[in-house]
Amino acid sequence: MAGRRRKRLDLTTPGLLGLPVMWLVAFFLVPIGIVGAYSIDIFSIYPAKHPVTLAGWDDFVHSAIYLKLFWKSVRMSLLVSVVVVLLAYPVAYYLALSGTKRKYVLLLILIAPFLTSYLLRVLAWKVILGSNGVVNSFLYWLGVRAHDDPVSQLLYSRFAVMLVLVYVWLPFVALPIFVSLETLDRHLLEAASDLYASRWQAFRRVTLPLSLPGVVAAFLFVFIPTVGEFVTPSLVGGTSGYMYGNQISDLFGTGFPDWRTGSVLALFLLLMVALLTGVFARFLGMRQAGPAH
Amino acid sequence: MGEGEKLLERRFSREDLLKLAAAAGGAGLLAGRAGAANAALARLAKESGQLQVLDWAGYEVKPLWATYQKKYPGEKPKVTFMTNEANAFAKLRAGFKPDVFRPYVGYVRDFAESGFTQPWDPKLITNLKYLNPTMVKAGQYNGKQYGIPNDWGFDAILYRTDKVHPTAKSWSLLFDKRYSGKIAWYDDLNQLVWAGYYLGFKQPYNQTDDELKRSQKLLISKKKMVRMFWSSETDMQNAFASGDLWIAYAWPADWVAMKGKGLKVAYMHPREGALSWIGMLMLGKGTPRSEHAHAYADAWSSLQSSNWLENNYGYGAANTKARPTSKDLLKVLKVTDPGALREPRAHIDRYMPRRAQYARLWQEVKAS
Repeated sequence: MAGRRRKRLDLTTPGLLGLPVMWLVAFFLVPIGIVGAYSIDIFSIYPAKHPVTLAGWDDFVHSAIYLKLFWKSVRMSLLVSVVVVLLAYPVAYYLALSGTKRKYVLLLILIAPFLTSYLLRVLAWKVILGSNGVVNSFLYWLGVRAHDDPVSQLLYSRFAVMLVLVYVWLPFVALPIFVSLETLDRHLLEAASDLYASRWQAFRRVTLPLSLPGVVAAFLFVFIPTVGEFVTPSLVGGTSGYMYGNQISDLFGTGFPDWRTGSVLALFLLLMVALLTGVFARFLGMRQAGPAH
Repeated sequence: MGEGEKLLERRFSREDLLKLAAAAGGAGLLAGRAGAANAALARLAKESGQLQVLDWAGYEVKPLWATYQKKYPGEKPKVTFMTNEANAFAKLRAGFKPDVFRPYVGYVRDFAESGFTQPWDPKLITNLKYLNPTMVKAGQYNGKQYGIPNDWGFDAILYRTDKVHPTAKSWSLLFDKRYSGKIAWYDDLNQLVWAGYYLGFKQPYNQTDDELKRSQKLLISKKKMVRMFWSSETDMQNAFASGDLWIAYAWPADWVAMKGKGLKVAYMHPREGALSWIGMLMLGKGTPRSEHAHAYADAWSSLQSSNWLENNYGYGAANTKARPTSKDLLKVLKVTDPGALREPRAHIDRYMPRRAQYARLWQEVKAS
């Protein structure tokens, strides 16, 4: 008799995703949970008994300083991200659409700085921007500045932090935009040309909208890590380039460890970045769906 | 080589064998108890393995503990680095059990009360009698010797004499607006302490809420003149040498280093008094290598190590017989001036009951 066939258990998806998911749980979700526990005193670096409390969150919300520092970091990151995308787009456009035979060689040259240490690349800027660095020495030689009157704001300043971050992230940002432009259907550009669109119109009405997912991905790619950046500000930021990430690092590592406040700041950063990413993704989803007919 | 293999392959020195024989045989004869002989064996067995040291980078070098190897040939301590006391505390709290570690004098009480340390047995440190008595006393808590002083120095002001002309010998040079953008402060809550001395408070290491607010306000208001907060001495020295800085909160070794680079520099002890720090070697609680640890502390306190420290790192050594060969260092450390480390000319770092508050306020200065 033809009975019901036993349903075969499909283990393909669990088999493929199981390990990455377990990895994510063990090394991402669990640590976040631990940080959350520190933020409400379930765990504490101090061995004495202590009740669970939201005091850390309360202090954070009512502190003018931490939120101000957060928004300062967001502003700096937004500016860095916009500048990087504006600089990277033409480079990626040329590589993807110019038809040059050497496109992959040029791409390799673009990402060549990755072959050197991140720290070395940042430290190199100290040599360039210092009071007796390359820029100031050039200004002395030109006679624009006297030798004992260098442009001191070049280094140990907010400007230095943003400049170095742009330099460090430019190759990273060019790549997703390049990929996005590379996969563009060239027939659409031909069609635009057939319909008497100028190059600028074709770019504005065809190329740019279709490359937007890559642009947004690139923007997020640099915005998210730079909001929490602390290495570059600590090396070239001086007192005015101090960022939110430095505060988190200091709360955990120096003076008198305050892991509770550090955990609160870290979780707040995570929540805000997740929120902003969600907003951007939704915006992108709406643009891709297009207007309803 | 793993710990187990080291245990099996450890070569007993003649001294050890004699001690073992005496302990085992003598105890057996006199007391007739196998337990005493076993205890001697157990003691030696417990003391095997590498000495675990938690120390600052640069302090792992052999000349600083050379005589330890004379006592325990072929045995080298295993050194893990700490970057500051908070870092050390976090490591201890996470379960790391060093036999010895080195916070500075202001943290002796904190660590003595933490449950992570135990007092030294002064009788086992033969060089203790040569150490500066003021510093030795600073390492005591509740009458017990918790810290063995080794390195020390001042926190004062380094400045370029060709660029800077102070109007007074005062901490106010650290916020002299004539040199705005050429000043560096140390990234440490001690900035609130010198601010307290500048403002004339009675107990800058234990300021009241109002006093702390005033100290913080001073620092925030003057912060715009400061180019950098340094946490790495190398960064500060590089910035000073390259001309980015003319004035810095600094240590005596920094003065020696800048002089060595040919800069015209002075090291000013402010009239309000310089601050002073002393490195305190502390003993891990329940260490299974107590004898080794005491030998290590004794090695560090020896004249040989002390002279090396002074001549190579430009820090003072607690051993009163030590003298640096550099006349510059001799001068800047005021080694031959017995009053240099006493109040009111210098304020040795000490326990701060409100350290958490100071730390928070200092973080707010940086974030502002």
